[in-house]
Amino acid sequence: MALQRGLKPAPALMALAPGLVLLPLGLGLLRDLHAGGAEQIGRFWLAAFQPSLERSLLTHQLTGLQVTALTALLAWSLSSCIGLVLGLLCSTTIVSTLTGLRWPALMLRRCLSPLRSIHEMVWGLLLLQLFGLNGWVAVLAIVLPYSALLARVLADQLDRHEPLALTALRCAGVPAVANLFTSLIPPVATAIRDHIGHRLDCALRSALLLGIFGLGGLGTELMFSMQSLRFRELWSGLWLMALLLALVNLLIRRLSAGHGLLLLLLALPLVTMQWSRSLHHDLSLPRWVDGAPWASSAQWIEGMSQAWIETPWLELVGETLLITLLASGVAIALPPLLRLIAPAPGPGRIVKAGWLLMRLLPAPLTALLLMLASKPTITVAALALGLHHSGVMGLVLEDGLARVDDREHQAMVALGARPRSAWLFGVLSPASKRYLAYAAYRSDVILRDTAVVGLVGGAGLGWQLMEALSSFHWQQVGWLVLVYAALTLLGELLCERLQEMT
Amino acid sequence: MPRRVQPAVMVAGFISALTFGSSVVGCSSTTPSSIQVLKIGAIPDQNPERLNRLYEALSDELLASLDIDVQYVPVSNYAAAVSAFRSGSLDLVWFGGLTGVQARLQTPGATVLAQRDIDAEFTSVFIANGASGLRPITSADQLVQLKGRRMAFGSESSTSGRLMPQFFLGENGITMTDLAGGGPGFSGSHDATIAVVQSGAYEVGALNAQVWQSNVDEGRVDSEKVVVIWRTPPYVDYHWLARPDLDARFGEGFTGRVQNALLSLSPTTERGAVVLELFGAKRFIPAQNKDYSKIEAVGRQLGKIR
Amino acid sequence: MSLLELRRAGLTGRLQPLDLTIHRGETTVLLGRSGAGKSSLIGLCNGSLPSDQGHVLWRGQDLKRCRPEQRRQIGTLWQDLRLVEELTVLQNINTGALGRHSMVWALRNLLQPPEPEIGSAILRQVGLSSDLRDQRVSGLSGGERQRVAIARLLRQQPMLVLVDEPLSALDPGLASDVLNLLLHQSSCVISLHRPDLMHQFQRVLGLRQGELVVDAAPSAINESTLAWLYSED
Repeated sequence: MALQRGLKPAPALMALAPGLVLLPLGLGLLRDLHAGGAEQIGRFWLAAFQPSLERSLLTHQLTGLQVTALTALLAWSLSSCIGLVLGLLCSTTIVSTLTGLRWPALMLRRCLSPLRSIHEMVWGLLLLQLFGLNGWVAVLAIVLPYSALLARVLADQLDRHEPLALTALRCAGVPAVANLFTSLIPPVATAIRDHIGHRLDCALRSALLLGIFGLGGLGTELMFSMQSLRFRELWSGLWLMALLLALVNLLIRRLSAGHGLLLLLLALPLVTMQWSRSLHHDLSLPRWVDGAPWASSAQWIEGMSQAWIETPWLELVGETLLITLLASGVAIALPPLLRLIAPAPGPGRIVKAGWLLMRLLPAPLTALLLMLASKPTITVAALALGLHHSGVMGLVLEDGLARVDDREHQAMVALGARPRSAWLFGVLSPASKRYLAYAAYRSDVILRDTAVVGLVGGAGLGWQLMEALSSFHWQQVGWLVLVYAALTLLGELLCERLQEMT
Repeated sequence: MPRRVQPAVMVAGFISALTFGSSVVGCSSTTPSSIQVLKIGAIPDQNPERLNRLYEALSDELLASLDIDVQYVPVSNYAAAVSAFRSGSLDLVWFGGLTGVQARLQTPGATVLAQRDIDAEFTSVFIANGASGLRPITSADQLVQLKGRRMAFGSESSTSGRLMPQFFLGENGITMTDLAGGGPGFSGSHDATIAVVQSGAYEVGALNAQVWQSNVDEGRVDSEKVVVIWRTPPYVDYHWLARPDLDARFGEGFTGRVQNALLSLSPTTERGAVVLELFGAKRFIPAQNKDYSKIEAVGRQLGKIR
Repeated sequence: MSLLELRRAGLTGRLQPLDLTIHRGETTVLLGRSGAGKSSLIGLCNGSLPSDQGHVLWRGQDLKRCRPEQRRQIGTLWQDLRLVEELTVLQNINTGALGRHSMVWALRNLLQPPEPEIGSAILRQVGLSSDLRDQRVSGLSGGERQRVAIARLLRQQPMLVLVDEPLSALDPGLASDVLNLLLHQSSCVISLHRPDLMHQFQRVLGLRQGELVVDAAPSAINESTLAWLYSED
């Protein structure tokens, strides 16, 4: 037993191990592959090189792009500010230093996990019930889960570091508050800044997706094009989005070096307010819509038990977990695997462009493309989700690799290690810990995202949630949301245990 | 280096104060000045270029006949369109049969204004991939041969792409669990259903007959790979639905004026011809709430209406 | 006059209950094998390890109830230094003075560290160039980092200095410099691995298996006592 504990696998291998799921997925795909959709897929990729340049289309898409960007920026700025405050309140180190008690922080943390467990698309459709079609609905739909996620990341970071300097300064008579931001915040500042910067990219994609599910912006335009398989029009929008993503990433990288990120966070709400006015995008104070779409409370209680009985929970949860597991495996292992195959900077650049492409294509679109070439199975759903999120993980990995101290790698090369193993143990290994920690949050997101590709296999909780929402079956929606929350909470507890063990 | 930081902090403070102030002011000053705008919308079942052209033409037409500002709000999701109508974000919506009933049940007092000539007797087609070995069906009871097949529907709230096909399958003894994979797949749209059946991912699919016809007419269907195997009996489908508060907001008798404007669209005028052509109809005809009681019953039976 | 007083204070499993009084102006060395309880005793004295038996009194008041401004009078040089790695040298030195200043001062220290001239003077005092002032601590060598920690201690101006193994990471030349610097503080308790240096102190405390077994002037300690102190069991 003791021996087993002594034999810890190298962190780099831990990052690659989830790639094992590629095997069954690949086999499944091979079995179900057919050439019937080759023509459509060919049309799709050809259209990338000849996007539609029709004037009225571009005007519509540009307006849509601005609405998407505006929604994303506003949501990003608000969720970052709120998430930072909540994160401080969720940190057991901070709360126990200030009050001597740990449970308020833990409790707040647990209370926030349901917010994270619900997909922004579902938030959007729920908020739409309450406020109607208002610009704030999309913003809030992103702010709610994003703030909760940032709070968790920040609290995890704060509580992970053993606060040695904190004890030292406390013993030296430094008052608690001054001590906390002097000894606790600086060690996590870089990681948090990276995370916040990276969330803007995510917010943009979320805003696009919200459009796809009916809340306006470029996503709405793309959805129409996608549904009618007008790939040239689709690509006009995708290229615009790509441009925006690239621009934003460049900007963030420039800004996060200094205090620019903070300034941007604070300035954005002001700018976006003015901007929305020039676009005639309704960002007025949302007002409660009279009357609820759901039944009275007595009917609710009766309907709840009915809805619980008629839903095949075991099957749904099983399928959802399977999709999440497979997709997480792909998303986590693919980036390091591809970089291992191509450690040189030249091919590395191609791989990086590949990540951008993966992030650019919304998961429902990837799923539709895969479905044209394969029979509809869970494999397709998992692969679509996995590929989309591997784009995100690829970005995280590249950021992590860029921060690795090169000395270890050089030492290995000097010792005569082959380029690949030198890269594996000299570059990937040191970056792995943070990468894997981020992977835990990503699988959280993938679990929520099963709602988006639910349509593919007609499987899992995600599909059931879409069906319940479109039938306005609120009791079932309520249960599904609860089950999602429970799964997220379980995942969180599991991750915490794993982190304690390693 | 740290010396340069202080101004940054001051600027940050200044900006955040300004932001807070302006967002408070901004929120209150942009309260909807749009009370006199008629917001029209539609469920998403057309391509964007066509939708944009269609609603531009229709807005112009309504502006001319009603003397009122019309704004088209695109919504890409069926359920979102229903909710937007209920919450008053849309005043006049082109709904499908099922979504219209859902919206009307959630918005007491909403009235059906009109439908197209083709909507009174609308149909869906079942299409099959050539390699599936499925032959055209002459009578509905032969639908049993679809048992164990991979079947694709369109959107989950579509009347012609899901509700009615599922209903007719049920009538002839096929439940959803009889299909391969324990249930149907949902391609998301009528066009996508054609694509996934043509590719062979699904063996059989059901969709809006009008969309099928226009795809055939435009040569976007490979008749070697995909054929119609069955056409459903007729049912009522798409219609215009108006919110109950239109008269109160736009003046007595406004709902009736909108209805008249829609019904009097005629292919003899230039704009009318454009609108009707894009809608794929010769004219709009009157319709009432009760025309859709069959759809409501089917919706309830299949659990899409609660 | 007594500064710190331990009354049957102990840590279960680590340190037997002991009585000890540290006086003002007294220099004390703490000897013993690794694991004998030297770090635990230091922790007991500065409050980082709260005693679970007996009492620790700082100038007559229970240390657990002391307010920050009283705790400020005890300074510690930790074995693992406990600097804030992500901050600059000057910022770290200034953390020694946080106890005397307001919150605003503490915030300023993060953005634009105040009183750089005091920091520079202290840096020179510990034998470092003031050019290091704006460098991040994480980039410094072991010896430099330890001097930064000492500089922080000097900035704190404590009444009693507690030091845990200050010389283990240093070469002999540096070691004597550091020791001199520390001995110049008014009152100190320094734990050392080097019994040969005990004659520079006024008082010797010896710990063996978690028990205080020696408390005497250096002259009263002979070779056999030392041998026993460092013997296996």
